[in-house]
Amino acid sequence: MFRRIAQALSIPAALIVAVTLQLAIVNRAPLPGGAVPDLVLIAVTAIAVCTGPMTGMLTGFFSGLALDIAPPAAHLAGEYALVFCLVGYACGRVRSAITYATGERTMWTSLTIMGLGVAAGEAGKAALGMMVSDPNVTAPAIKHVLPAAIIYDLVLCPFAYWLTSVALRRPAPERAPRPEFAQVATAFRVASAGSLGAVPNLRLAGSTPAAAAPPARQEPKLRLGSARSSPSSRTYAASSTAQPTLSGGRAVKVNFDRQKVGPAHPRQLASPGKGWLRAQPAAGSPALKHRPPPKGWLRAGRPAGTVPLRRRSPGSGWLRVKRPGGTPALTGNSPRRGWLRPAKPLPTPRRKTPGRGWLRPAKPPKLSWYAKSPGRRWVRHSHSPWRSRRQRLLALVGVRR
Amino acid sequence: MHDARRTRPVLIVLLIAAIALITLDFRDAGTSPAHVVGADVFGPVERTASAVASPFESLFHTVAGNDSGEIASLQKQNDQLRAQLSQAQLSSQEQAQLSQLLHLTSASNYKIVAATVIAAGGAYSDTVTIDAGTRAGITTNETVLNGDGLVGTVTAATASTATVQLADDAAATVGVRVDGTNEIGALSGTGSTLGAAQQLKLTLFNATAVLQPGQTIVTFGSVGGRPYVPGVPIGQVTQVTSEPGSLTQTALVQPFVDFTGLGVLGVVVSK
Repeated sequence: MFRRIAQALSIPAALIVAVTLQLAIVNRAPLPGGAVPDLVLIAVTAIAVCTGPMTGMLTGFFSGLALDIAPPAAHLAGEYALVFCLVGYACGRVRSAITYATGERTMWTSLTIMGLGVAAGEAGKAALGMMVSDPNVTAPAIKHVLPAAIIYDLVLCPFAYWLTSVALRRPAPERAPRPEFAQVATAFRVASAGSLGAVPNLRLAGSTPAAAAPPARQEPKLRLGSARSSPSSRTYAASSTAQPTLSGGRAVKVNFDRQKVGPAHPRQLASPGKGWLRAQPAAGSPALKHRPPPKGWLRAGRPAGTVPLRRRSPGSGWLRVKRPGGTPALTGNSPRRGWLRPAKPLPTPRRKTPGRGWLRPAKPPKLSWYAKSPGRRWVRHSHSPWRSRRQRLLALVGVRR
Repeated sequence: MHDARRTRPVLIVLLIAAIALITLDFRDAGTSPAHVVGADVFGPVERTASAVASPFESLFHTVAGNDSGEIASLQKQNDQLRAQLSQAQLSSQEQAQLSQLLHLTSASNYKIVAATVIAAGGAYSDTVTIDAGTRAGITTNETVLNGDGLVGTVTAATASTATVQLADDAAATVGVRVDGTNEIGALSGTGSTLGAAQQLKLTLFNATAVLQPGQTIVTFGSVGGRPYVPGVPIGQVTQVTSEPGSLTQTALVQPFVDFTGLGVLGVVVSK
């Protein structure tokens, strides 16, 4: 408690010292380049980075106001207060947003934010001086002063950051997220990267137990076998941790010999959304598409060759047209056709097929198009990579939808 | 993230306050009561800091090649000020005419108040604060000089401090006279537009006058000695530039005073 009070009092003390040093010493120093560093601006960015947006903007406002009204000031009162307030808020805001997104705060990101902050602050001072038509702040003057001032500020930034972080050191950062959330997020990121995207992005927030389930729970099962010490088998097990949750009620198959596990197996797992439409779990092989005999019941009753007769029944036209062509890729079980046309209920012709019902009791009508929500990649409108990047950027700056 | 609802109203309030301050000060042309409050609050602080920081300051000036102790500087300055004043008041018959013209009072009506620079403005503004104010008799629009020549004029004065606008400031304009030819003109500061080079810009009023490098520029004088008393040397013409399209000649003037190494100043106070 005493430490907190001392830290809270150290901020205004540091600001007063910075203002006094700036006016009494730094401004009088005959530095080359005709410019001087702005100690107050550096202090404001350092404090904002080390604390947060609220403290940053308050310190920025009051220290800028002090610079505005302290005697030799020739500019209008309020100019520096405005600029420093914005800079302090922006630095603290970006710092907390990055801390929130990554779960950690490093020195380099802090220094980068400080550098951008002081550059923006110097530019803002110049811009505001031009806006209020200060006779001293003209374009040639800015051209001479601004680069040198920014360079001086950048040189002094690490020292200010070090001083501030030592003075304001506290056990936990003010804006740090809860540690368990950070661990879940990190674990989820590791799991989704390790499973080749088998975990759908929809469950990012850890809402599903599959995301939070540690892979270590299933490792003992694998070690029971003969290949318990094989690191490669353990790697395979880790990469298929999401299997039980994704394939519904199917049991976990542990394959120690890794002989039946073809390369198509994880790819099939990688697209869980397709499972709700596909009849066969191994639909990737083209030989299986020719196989289903129940489809013959549609083809048998069709009079061959009369095209206008087919057009007359548009409801089943999308199924029937493709048949005479003999292209198996465009048969009825292509999922793109089905989900694009919600007006034609897909399960209706399927329920008329008696062959399917008794062959597959594991596929009740509950798993129809309506009951089971399709995967996110089938529903969303854009497949552009900038969609996810934009959403990540928006989340980074705090825009929540 | 979570405190956006809490910080945003505060931010908006602070921004509105800052803009209101700017507006008020803009309306009062930079003389709003905020500056008075700031001078009262920060004047003693700056005075103390300057006293503490005088070793660093002398170190700076040693580095800058301007080594001089304060006492020696004061002594030298006293002598030179006396010499300048006598020269300014007894120079020529033009001076006598000017004195009559401007209703200048006699030489005994001027007094020099010595003061020390305790703070300076930022990168853009060329202003300094001195440690003497209205308690020492300083009011606004009084000439400030040192041993080398003209420094500037007082723009604001509180009880214990005063703000001096240097002749180098972009907002400063001094009426000047070319020593020898007695051509009159206006000298304006260049601020930071020339970078570290502190040069002043001279514009003559007479279109047929001829300027030559090496000519000395002195102040012309104002009514009542405010803001500039006559005859104070300012600088030497270094470069004559005749711009096409301009009716009169312009020149760059190198001031005698080093505006970055100001220490002890004298304020010409009228009794």
